[in-house]
Amino acid sequence: MTPGRALPVPGPGETDGQDTPAAPWHRVHPVSPLVRGWIAVVAIAFVYGQNTLSSFFGEEEPNPGPEFISRTPLMVSLLVGAGILLLILLGFFGTWWFTKYQITDRHVNVNTGMVFRQQRQARIDRVQSIDIAQPLVARIFGLAELRFDVADSGSAAMNLAFVKLSEAHQLRNEILARAAGLKSPAPPAPPLPAPPDAFPVAGAIPDPVAPQTPFLEAPASASASLAASERVVAVVPTGRLIGSLLLRPSTILMVLGIIGLGIAMSTIEGFAPFYLLPAFLGMAGALWNNLNTGYNFKAATSADGLRLSYGLLDTRHQTVPPGRVQAIKVTAPFFWRPLGWYRVAVNVAGIGGGAANDAEQRSVLLPVGSYEDVLAVLSVVLPAPGVAAPRDFFAAAINGSGPEGGFVVSPPRVRPLSPLAYKRQGYALTDTALVARNGALHRSIAIVPHARTQGLRLSQGPLARRFGVVDLSLATIAGPVVPLVHQLDVASGRELFLEQADRAAAARRQTDSNHWLGDA
Amino acid sequence: MRQEPIDPAGIQWTRVSPSYAKVRMVGWAIGALITLLVLSVPLVLVLTGVWEGFPLWLAITAPAVVVAVEVIRLVLIPRQVAAIGYAEREDDLLVRHGLMFQKVLVVPYGRMQFVDVAVGPIDRMLGLCKVKLHTAAADATAEIPGLPVAEGTRLREQLAARGESRLAGL
Repeated sequence: MTPGRALPVPGPGETDGQDTPAAPWHRVHPVSPLVRGWIAVVAIAFVYGQNTLSSFFGEEEPNPGPEFISRTPLMVSLLVGAGILLLILLGFFGTWWFTKYQITDRHVNVNTGMVFRQQRQARIDRVQSIDIAQPLVARIFGLAELRFDVADSGSAAMNLAFVKLSEAHQLRNEILARAAGLKSPAPPAPPLPAPPDAFPVAGAIPDPVAPQTPFLEAPASASASLAASERVVAVVPTGRLIGSLLLRPSTILMVLGIIGLGIAMSTIEGFAPFYLLPAFLGMAGALWNNLNTGYNFKAATSADGLRLSYGLLDTRHQTVPPGRVQAIKVTAPFFWRPLGWYRVAVNVAGIGGGAANDAEQRSVLLPVGSYEDVLAVLSVVLPAPGVAAPRDFFAAAINGSGPEGGFVVSPPRVRPLSPLAYKRQGYALTDTALVARNGALHRSIAIVPHARTQGLRLSQGPLARRFGVVDLSLATIAGPVVPLVHQLDVASGRELFLEQADRAAAARRQTDSNHWLGDA
Repeated sequence: MRQEPIDPAGIQWTRVSPSYAKVRMVGWAIGALITLLVLSVPLVLVLTGVWEGFPLWLAITAPAVVVAVEVIRLVLIPRQVAAIGYAEREDDLLVRHGLMFQKVLVVPYGRMQFVDVAVGPIDRMLGLCKVKLHTAAADATAEIPGLPVAEGTRLREQLAARGESRLAGL
């Protein structure tokens, strides 16, 4: 830690409502624009170089360029090339020079833009998620991108690309420490919360890499003492990841399609549908994408919340602070069920919005895992499940049917509407959350904590009216989880509607704070 | 206000102004007219002899169906407006609407992010406004159209005050 980046220490009389004015401004790493724009540079250099050289050596031109290039002498060509390079470098320098960031006690400020200047201020206590991402090229340079999400629907509030990896980690810890409500200079790091007794986690592997006892370090800087130690709760072995990808319906379809096409091409003469190639390439690309992002997946818990890290070529470390998870979904896809594999995804404000193209990947807490892994991850994002025996309860929720586990299911009269799922679809209440269960073949449950209920909607169409049932949907922020209790009996649906509204109100009064360690 | 089977027990709904039906009817008239004009084009072409090949029965059926559907929609408008209701509870706002597809929505005041009051040109003539309560969840946006302006203003102030006192983060 360089002295220039030391945390500003507020005076004893300073109110916490004021930003420290003297917080220093920093720049991102100088090679950042190159790391971001290297593809453009390489492409330009390649095309230009090829044209210039081929015109100079004057033989068969593999890729004849515009007339003026092929007729100009080499010297002029080189000069023009150098000019273009200079312009690009100048642009890179400008974007670098005008990108500055500052971290104060309560805000993150980022100034960007050369021609159109932009100054952005984001409240630290509104952080929803912090990511450290390393695309392949950035990894080669030892750089990382720091991304700070708040609860708006757009892209990241702050996107520092790129800083040194160590610096990124340190910034993350600083921001999280302040978001937790700890003021700098920090008190000793909070002890790691003991694993909740309610969740006997079998596979908790201590991580030897993570700092184990932050107490031993002198609290010279807030961030050093707050590099909260982490405890790994779930990992995804590569074999299981590949197996899970092979057992996706789209993969199975692709394999069947290739086999079918192969047979067709060998029996029917002159049948070669090369126009289908892009479709297969697209499917293979999606498969690769899943492999790339699910590889080496590790979920860990720390005082800062849940930490996820994954990636084959591009790696990403994601931190979701406690209390940011709005809804949880556990699914058991049909083809995974014989193997006992599950998937966990969540709604977190700022991540799930459709604007970001990596939203789907970033809201996955566990791409594929056993029931033990699911419990371990749930114990972090749902620390108080609110039932006496969560192991049995969630087993009943995911795989059970009928009223076991306290579930209220659809009345038998809806059988013509949902011949398979009518015994499964329903809901159960715990002290802290509502669990909605759906699906007979592709099974899923959605968990919405009472304190996170944004609203409830009761709806009934003409067909449902004939069967005397209603649908109850729980409003949450945008994301992969869409909690819905399907086809409830009208009377019990009406009752649940108001009761749940009251429960949500009561839960809100008890627990609502953006800070999770310090005073609210 | 009539209680529908899905309405939660013990809620006293407040109806919106019946003259909101007029606003809806103006919107209906414009939409119906455009649909009718577009679907009448083949009939006009056939009758004027420009497009001989087009079957006459189809050219007549299309506008006839439009007229029938639009008349049914027109007849339903007053009942649909009568089915819109809202109720303020201690901690949340309830809104219901729909005849065929009925919906009841409850939105806690503490989850409110902001309140909109919108007034369209027809609304203004009739002294009406529309109050919209936005939350972080897109599908929990409570919309109450056809409120008298005074009631809309009162509701907005009320919602803002209650949202403030029951403020909860996300």
